[in-house]
Amino acid sequence: MRGEHAEGAPDPLVQRALELRGEARTRHRPQLGVMSTSLLNELMTYHLDSGYAAAAGRPKDRSPAARRKARVVLAVGLLLLGFVLAAAYRGTIRQAPDSERARQALVRDVQNGSALGDALQRRAETLSGQLVRERDAALTTSQAGDQVAAQVRRLEGAAAQRPVHGPGIAVVIGDAAAADQVDPATGQRIAVPADDNGRLRDRDLQGLVNALWAAGAEAIAVGGQRLAPTTTIRAAGEAILVDLRPVQSPYTIEAVGDPDTLLPRFADSDAARRFQSYTGLYGIRFTVRESTELRLRAATGPELRYASSVPSPTVSPAVSPAVSPAVPPAGSSAAAPSPAAPSSFAPGSVAPSPSAPGGGS
Amino acid sequence: MIPALALAVGVVLGLLVEPVVPLWLQPYLPIAVVAALDAVFGGIRARLDGIFDSKVFVVSFVSNVLVAALIVFLGDKLGVGAQLSTGVVVVLGIRIFGNAAAIRRHLLRA
Repeated sequence: MRGEHAEGAPDPLVQRALELRGEARTRHRPQLGVMSTSLLNELMTYHLDSGYAAAAGRPKDRSPAARRKARVVLAVGLLLLGFVLAAAYRGTIRQAPDSERARQALVRDVQNGSALGDALQRRAETLSGQLVRERDAALTTSQAGDQVAAQVRRLEGAAAQRPVHGPGIAVVIGDAAAADQVDPATGQRIAVPADDNGRLRDRDLQGLVNALWAAGAEAIAVGGQRLAPTTTIRAAGEAILVDLRPVQSPYTIEAVGDPDTLLPRFADSDAARRFQSYTGLYGIRFTVRESTELRLRAATGPELRYASSVPSPTVSPAVSPAVSPAVPPAGSSAAAPSPAAPSSFAPGSVAPSPSAPGGGS
Repeated sequence: MIPALALAVGVVLGLLVEPVVPLWLQPYLPIAVVAALDAVFGGIRARLDGIFDSKVFVVSFVSNVLVAALIVFLGDKLGVGAQLSTGVVVVLGIRIFGNAAAIRRHLLRA
């Protein structure tokens, strides 16, 4: 406010500056009530740095040297200003995209990886379906073959190596819904992930799956992943892995079993009752519904570490080596359409009775 | 002409040099930017009002940046850094809008 006490001075520049301020005062002063403070008034009224008015009130040095100096000062100031703005801009775009780029790359990697896994899984399913057909065709030519085929089917069912369908129940269980909370500082609603009590853990799924087995389920899939005898349900950090593949809430547990007993026995189990009470207690989702037709796909075959298929002289070399480790034990002969060469299971028991009439099972 | 050139050179320098802002300085960068913008709008308005003074401009710019950073620094030490940052941004923002309105009146007569 150094311009104030120059009031009435004859200098035209001062007059101009004061006029400007006067104008601003009369024209833009807000009509504030008695409660208003001079600080707020000041803030709303005077936007221009008072230094300009003060400088305008001082006699100006109009010599060339002074003008040059002013110009240099201005140039340096603007240089600095541009530098600050550009540096801030650079810093901002360098930081944000860096993390974003890394995230995008990771997301892409994950998506590519799971797409590849899905493709391989589909291929393995096709091939093992083909294998089953070929094998059944080869075995049903004889009585002994039929017995073997039935045994194989039973074992495969037990080992979840065969797609199944039938009546059963589907249990859908999900984390408690994220509760909206209001941020105390900004007043914005922020989604808070459900607290620990409302989040399902691997042991919850394990408990439900065990209850379903105990209730008489014959085949179970969690999140579309068929459970084989060696399948694990475990946690890796926050994620739940079924057969080493992540599943996400809400989890669907499908179980095929006797429609008359499966649901009542499961509903009567400890686990089901516990989760029913958790719905009220922690807000988790838990629904059980009956289904007349569930389709569960085969589980991935066990990974063979030491066993390798017996090379068969009659198998054509059409089998690509990249495929054979991914398919079940008898897989190496599956791709070759030669029913005479069941390479890895009991070839001797099939061969000796070629004359027996093939019974259609 | 020369001021515009200096500004352009400053921007180009900032973009080319890619100054690495030290971590301890980073909370103050947004404040510095707002203070710088306030100085720019104040300078343009003063120019249109016919009372521009390069010394006042540069000094107000530098001191605004420093004072704003100091306030935020003190706030950080006292545990009210976020609130004081908001305060600085609000005050400077009001000034920026006021000056922008004055510039608009000058240029568009509306």
